[in-house]
Amino acid sequence: MEIITQNSEILIMLAIGFGLFMAWGVGANDVANAMGTSVGSGAITVKQAIIIAIIFEFAGAVLAGGEVTATVRKGILDASVFVDSPHLLVYGMLAALLSAGFWLLIASSYGWPVSTTHSIVGAIVGFGAVGMGVEAVAWDKVGTIVASWVISPLLAGTLAVFIFKSLQKRIISTENPLENAKRYLPFYVFIVGFVIALVTLLKGLKHVESLKHLGKDFPTSMLIAVVVGVIASLIAAVIVRRIKTDPEDDADFHYANMEKLFGGLMVVTACSMAFAHGSNDVANAIGPLAAVYSIVESGGDIASKSALPSWILLVGGGGIVFGLATFGFKVMRTIGQGITELTPSRGFAAELAAATTVVLASYTGLPVSTTQVLVGAVLGVGIARGLASLNMSVINRIFLSWIVTLPAGAIMAIVFFYALKGLFGA
Amino acid sequence: MARSDISGLFGRSPINPLQQHMKQVHLCLKEFTAFAKAASKDDWDKAELSRSLIVKKENKADELKKKLRMNLPSTFMMPFSRRDLLDLLLIQDSIANITKDLAGLMATRKMIFPVEIAQDFLDLVTVSVKTSAAALEAINELDELLETAFSSRERKIVDTIVTKINALEHESDIAQHLIRTKLFTLEATLPPVDVMFYYRAIEWLGETADAAQKVGSRLEVMLAK
Repeated sequence: MEIITQNSEILIMLAIGFGLFMAWGVGANDVANAMGTSVGSGAITVKQAIIIAIIFEFAGAVLAGGEVTATVRKGILDASVFVDSPHLLVYGMLAALLSAGFWLLIASSYGWPVSTTHSIVGAIVGFGAVGMGVEAVAWDKVGTIVASWVISPLLAGTLAVFIFKSLQKRIISTENPLENAKRYLPFYVFIVGFVIALVTLLKGLKHVESLKHLGKDFPTSMLIAVVVGVIASLIAAVIVRRIKTDPEDDADFHYANMEKLFGGLMVVTACSMAFAHGSNDVANAIGPLAAVYSIVESGGDIASKSALPSWILLVGGGGIVFGLATFGFKVMRTIGQGITELTPSRGFAAELAAATTVVLASYTGLPVSTTQVLVGAVLGVGIARGLASLNMSVINRIFLSWIVTLPAGAIMAIVFFYALKGLFGA
Repeated sequence: MARSDISGLFGRSPINPLQQHMKQVHLCLKEFTAFAKAASKDDWDKAELSRSLIVKKENKADELKKKLRMNLPSTFMMPFSRRDLLDLLLIQDSIANITKDLAGLMATRKMIFPVEIAQDFLDLVTVSVKTSAAALEAINELDELLETAFSSRERKIVDTIVTKINALEHESDIAQHLIRTKLFTLEATLPPVDVMFYYRAIEWLGETADAAQKVGSRLEVMLAK
């Protein structure tokens, strides 16, 4: 306990520093994956994507990230093991942040497809199991998390098949795709806005002190969700109507104008992707920071139920913005250029499916990988015969990255854990 | 930097290259019209010029074929089977190959058809070119098919074109039969070796229409998955 009270300032400073480092990594790399499909379809510019990312990543983290932060903060490890030695948990969480940050840096400089989620979870499990003993890890929770890594891409894929098939039936393969797009697209946007808003109100806002009463007030939540959905669909309707279509463009390819309408809506889907990414990936990046803060602030009380102060989210959001500003825009441009085969209508289906899946995962507190969920959704569109060619070896790469990332994050976290232990004392 | 991102998921679409290839193949056969006309007028300088254009187009089609094959690793997931796509490519390519061989055969032998069937041969060329044009039209529907994820609506459009191809191929059969019948009555008065090669030229020209028909039917198999 003394170690904590004596070093409280320096421990918090370290946590903020490491947290910024980690969030920077997320901003530099991960965000670009989440939004690259929108940029690639040519519907929004890199600059617009960055502005959308800043606003909606932040909103997602603040409004909907609470459950995931809580899982990373105290779900993976069994808190009772640390009751007598809370400082070890502080070291461990610092080590986890640092190791995940480093691993992201190494992996992205070599171009390995790793997930922030996996490196953080691997790091926490690693230091817990080795540093404290196997019983320190809440294995059933870890099992659920690992299962969610398999289930979430599958769910996104299934959703994508349904969304795409319904787009095909209602809009794409009809007598007049252009008119039907104008008529039905706002409706799809309504559903997405409604679902995201409703789940946010019912489950996500628990962690926002001034708004948490809404979660218990179902009728009001419903009403607000409907209003949000209607506003989103009105925006979509306005966008769709303002797009200029030229019948001559359809001479060579009959669907050129319809794709333009979908392209306009990529702004909306980009917003929902950024929100989803913020609610999950940003939230799990700041989970360890939140853990360190609450332990140090309460003077070593593990069970402290202190709410998440908003400055912690600011650290997460600020780090991401910094990452985007330094590297993110470059990565985003590269990815955007790589995804030219994805037409706006396909991107629309894939991104809506991915965003919905990630947001649902966020509310159940499961840290999933946005990139992998998006891969699942794109494969779903491919299975529905919507894409010309998909490189299935990406699936191998994803499995490989799991096999490498989990132990790598764990080993680094263990090393940092013992280093911190030596530095501050056991 | 290696690709650590989602863009690695997207392979290059084989559809546009396939359409480019069919276009090249069709242009090759189309050029044969000029060749046959020049040959029928005994203008071998002009015919040689046409033949070199045919060879050039055939080469270009070959290049496109190779490039497309190279970009089709077996790990790619496509909305149709890889086997069908490669078969389709081979069938398309055979049209250009036959055309090149036919022009070569006629040029080296300075083949001139007897007056009685000269026009019939040119008519057969026209029908063959029309058949391959229809096959090209069908292949050009592929991007629309993909856009609608192979909906039944688009498939009907392709069905209509394939019906047209079949009708043209039938027309080619009838034209071939007509020339052969006429040639048979003339046989005795002509040099036997020439006659042999007349039959061969007619057969090869007929094969281009057959191949164009196969393009249509293979396309339908691809869609029916």
